[in-house]
Amino acid sequence: MSRFTTARARLFGLVAIVGLAASACASNAQQTTLEPKGPSADKINNLSNLTFLIAGVVFVVVEFGVLFVAWKFRRRDDDDDSVPEQIHGHTRAEIGWTVLPAVILAFLAVATVGTILDLADEPEDAVQIRVVGQQWWWSYDYDIDGDGVHADGDVNQPGIENPDEYETDIEVATEMVIPVGTPVYLDIESRDVIHSFWIPALNGKKDAVPGRTHHLTLEADEPGTYVGQCTEYCGLSHAYMRMSVRALPKDEYDAWVEDQLAEAAAPSSDLAIQGEEVFGTLCASCHLIEGTNDEYDGATQVSGAAPNLTHFASRGSYAGGIFELWNDVDGDGAVETEEIGAEFNDNQLEAWLRNPAAEKPLAPNASRGNEFGRGMPDLGLNEAQIDALVAYLIGLE
Amino acid sequence: MAIVEAPDTGSEQLALTTGDAMASPADSLGVFQRPQGDTGWQSWLFTVDHKRIGIMYGATALFFFLIGGIEALIIRTQLAAPDQEIISADLYNQVFTMHGVTMVFLVVMPIGAAFMNYLMPLQIGARDVAFPRLNAFSFWCFFFGGVFFNSSWFLGGGADGGWFAYAPNTSVIFSPSHGMDFYAIGLQITGIASLVGAINLITTAINMRAPGMSLMKMPVFTWMSLVTQFLLLFAMPVISVALFLLTFDRIFDANFFNVAAGADPLLWEHLFWVFGHPEVYIMILPAFGIVSETLPVFSRKPIFGYEFIVFSGIAIGFMGWGVWAHHMFASGIGPISVAAFAVSTMFIAVPTGVKILNWMATMWGGKLSFTTPMLFSIGLVTMFTIGGLSGVSHSIAPADTQQTDTYYIVAHFHYVLFGGALFGFVGGFYFWWPKAFGHMLREGLGKAHFWIMLIGFNLTFGPQHILGLQGMPRRTHSYFDGYGFNFWNLVSTIGAFLIALSFLVFFANIFVSRRDAKKPGWISPGPDPWDARALEWMTASPTPSHNFDHQPVVTHRDEFWYRKYGETDDHELVRIASAEEVAHTGERTDVHLPAPSYWPIVLCLSFPLIGYGLIFNLGFAFVGGMITLMALYGLALEPVDDPDAVHGPDEHGSGDGDAVAVGAGPEEEASS
Repeated sequence: MSRFTTARARLFGLVAIVGLAASACASNAQQTTLEPKGPSADKINNLSNLTFLIAGVVFVVVEFGVLFVAWKFRRRDDDDDSVPEQIHGHTRAEIGWTVLPAVILAFLAVATVGTILDLADEPEDAVQIRVVGQQWWWSYDYDIDGDGVHADGDVNQPGIENPDEYETDIEVATEMVIPVGTPVYLDIESRDVIHSFWIPALNGKKDAVPGRTHHLTLEADEPGTYVGQCTEYCGLSHAYMRMSVRALPKDEYDAWVEDQLAEAAAPSSDLAIQGEEVFGTLCASCHLIEGTNDEYDGATQVSGAAPNLTHFASRGSYAGGIFELWNDVDGDGAVETEEIGAEFNDNQLEAWLRNPAAEKPLAPNASRGNEFGRGMPDLGLNEAQIDALVAYLIGLE
Repeated sequence: MAIVEAPDTGSEQLALTTGDAMASPADSLGVFQRPQGDTGWQSWLFTVDHKRIGIMYGATALFFFLIGGIEALIIRTQLAAPDQEIISADLYNQVFTMHGVTMVFLVVMPIGAAFMNYLMPLQIGARDVAFPRLNAFSFWCFFFGGVFFNSSWFLGGGADGGWFAYAPNTSVIFSPSHGMDFYAIGLQITGIASLVGAINLITTAINMRAPGMSLMKMPVFTWMSLVTQFLLLFAMPVISVALFLLTFDRIFDANFFNVAAGADPLLWEHLFWVFGHPEVYIMILPAFGIVSETLPVFSRKPIFGYEFIVFSGIAIGFMGWGVWAHHMFASGIGPISVAAFAVSTMFIAVPTGVKILNWMATMWGGKLSFTTPMLFSIGLVTMFTIGGLSGVSHSIAPADTQQTDTYYIVAHFHYVLFGGALFGFVGGFYFWWPKAFGHMLREGLGKAHFWIMLIGFNLTFGPQHILGLQGMPRRTHSYFDGYGFNFWNLVSTIGAFLIALSFLVFFANIFVSRRDAKKPGWISPGPDPWDARALEWMTASPTPSHNFDHQPVVTHRDEFWYRKYGETDDHELVRIASAEEVAHTGERTDVHLPAPSYWPIVLCLSFPLIGYGLIFNLGFAFVGGMITLMALYGLALEPVDDPDAVHGPDEHGSGDGDAVAVGAGPEEEASS
């Protein structure tokens, strides 16, 4: 009896697996690897599809083969107890099923090596952005003037010889803004442990290894926001180290660059002016707001860096990309470019300022072997200070 | 002899028969006499019998499997729904690290060691392994290493750097608890166990085969064990070095992986994976060996393409050293390196595929009975195939940059290590249980175990392919709503609890079957319940401490089977003898066996002390070091076996101390 169950259950299992695979393209899977939105991701996807196709055929042949053999040669109820023929092998069959997979794999190998070399090429006329990972957020330094030197508020970064060369280009956090249809060439680095930069819709991932610079090319075919998250385990808040790429049409991108190059907006209300004072006394030892605290020599963090807040309110999210700065007005589960600046999500920002470690796992205090913390500390702000800071920060468009 | 009577208790049947083989005090060099007695807890603690050591490996590994399994359920409970923080990120990171390390080093590896220790000497017709005291030393090293590692839960928290422990996230700055110290030192201790065991079992397979058993007559399981041990021999030193560097970094500020002092963290990645990839084959090859034993038995046919199965195993053993950087396709190594490792990784699929097809061909034309071990073996073939195919998709390096560090990888290696290694091992438990304990496990419960486990396993890890391709990273303590992750995570969690249920059935089966065997009227399954083929079935069940009553002389592959079946004049294979006629009765008690020893356990007990000392107070380390020294002298100076103790008649002039000679009795008369 069990042999009937064997075959039927296995068949059911196969059908289920195929069904699972078919439903893999769920419409709300915004971080999926299966819907490429740029040339690099396209190349990878084509190669993946070829591989999945071949693997799928082999899967069906082998699995049904095993089930068929198990079914066909089951011991019958009327078995005469004689010994089946004792076959010890068949050399030609062995050679055949050694060579056949080798040929299939050789075919895949050619396609793979070609794609590897293709993806490693440095694009011409690319936007140059330095991506730096640190626990648990990403910063992006744009080399706008094209002199090969990136902006960097953190002059304590190891390997930097002359901090004066770091004239102000653009330094932003968490969200990278890129022009549509233009390749972006990333220099990926880390200030503490190994992280991995990954925007699945645009390209595969690349590790950010401290002491090394790795490269990756991104290009988006269409405007939109493409999300990703750190994919190399980087400690406590690894799950909450997110990032996104916002691709804008070329003219909007140029306008964005223009805005970002400007110094921070002056506070426009009494409350915001109070907020600027709070910032100067409590926040400015770690965060940089250009035009406010330019006398800045690195954050009191293990990584030596905290996000540059000069144009904080122009971003969609903060704290490693896990909190939305603006409300999802149309209620579709995502905050689009149009919603940035519309309806301010003040509750979350207040909670974050009240006690960051309660909102996101952080290690802000000194610990064994380490005088600095990792992540934003609880500054013990009172409600009046929080209100003032929020009013100031939201004016930093 | 027809049917063997039930043993009164398992332990008596398994007992050593050399209780009276003690040194007379006048002859002894050491301070203590060798321990004696063949019953009670002392007979286990001080045993050097490969079968008891094998059973202790298995029992300890199953205990750690419970711990690792509970950790898995905690992980799956946390991830059952989005935005859950049932346990904190910190605790979650400890739990997934401890789960991985426990399952790899304290479950899969030692279950493999359990089978290899128990079966290898039996399959080659030997009396014990080459170095029985070293064998006990290996087991206790593993045991205390595992206990030491897990004691971190009570001493400030478990390791939190992942089983792969990438630098510099494992430095004191980024991992300030002592968890990673326990990881580095605990794995160092279990590594000693593997390395010493490798030397022991390689020597055993090469030197101690029964007369007539050429290498190409060795059972496939022994072959795969031999390949595994060679892999261990060369892989363990690499991880040992890496762990020493990590230990010195963390405890003595050695700066091997300190980037600010000029280190390159990729060094750790290379060292870890140069060990870590052969490690994958170390875990899977013993299971390949197991199904290569069970499929022929339940197909009533010899293994198809023995030479190809053996040489593909050897090929995997060699090629396994040339693929490590496929774990590092996104790490920033150059495109030529990536291309080279991509191609080498693709081609390691060839010998693996050869094995799968040979297993199918073994079943082809046979008469298949779907016993529990057979179901688990077919389970391995079908499930491992899925893991192998997803493995090929990783070898496509550009595709892997999308897949690596996502749940697609988690799915892949669970299909390999759970669907492969564990299915094989569980099948092996059902298959050899009567040989080790004298009674069968219940078939009904066994089949229930199989089906629940098969369904639970696929529900747990099948959907993780989808989650990974949808972009869900691994090693994240929580995930957000709105990414399409919710449904499949819930399915996966339900599956995990089904797996837990299946193992409850297994443990109940162990208990119930043992109780069955004690009931009056219970009938022993005899030495050969499955009509099996290899030499281990020729011993009585449960295997007596001296293994074979007299040394077998081997003329065939599948020696035992060919003693039961012979050709008629018109070349038809017919049964010529019953198993009981061919098998040994287990009654002989004058086979010379190595005496038990106090010192292996004492020596191994000193290692965790040194470990605690390095972490908390060097004073402990000093005490531990003194015990190490004392135990080494004890091992060296303890009295040899009493030369006047009872022996077989043709015994002398060969072994003493640990070097057990091949000869264990008079040459037997040819039996067929």
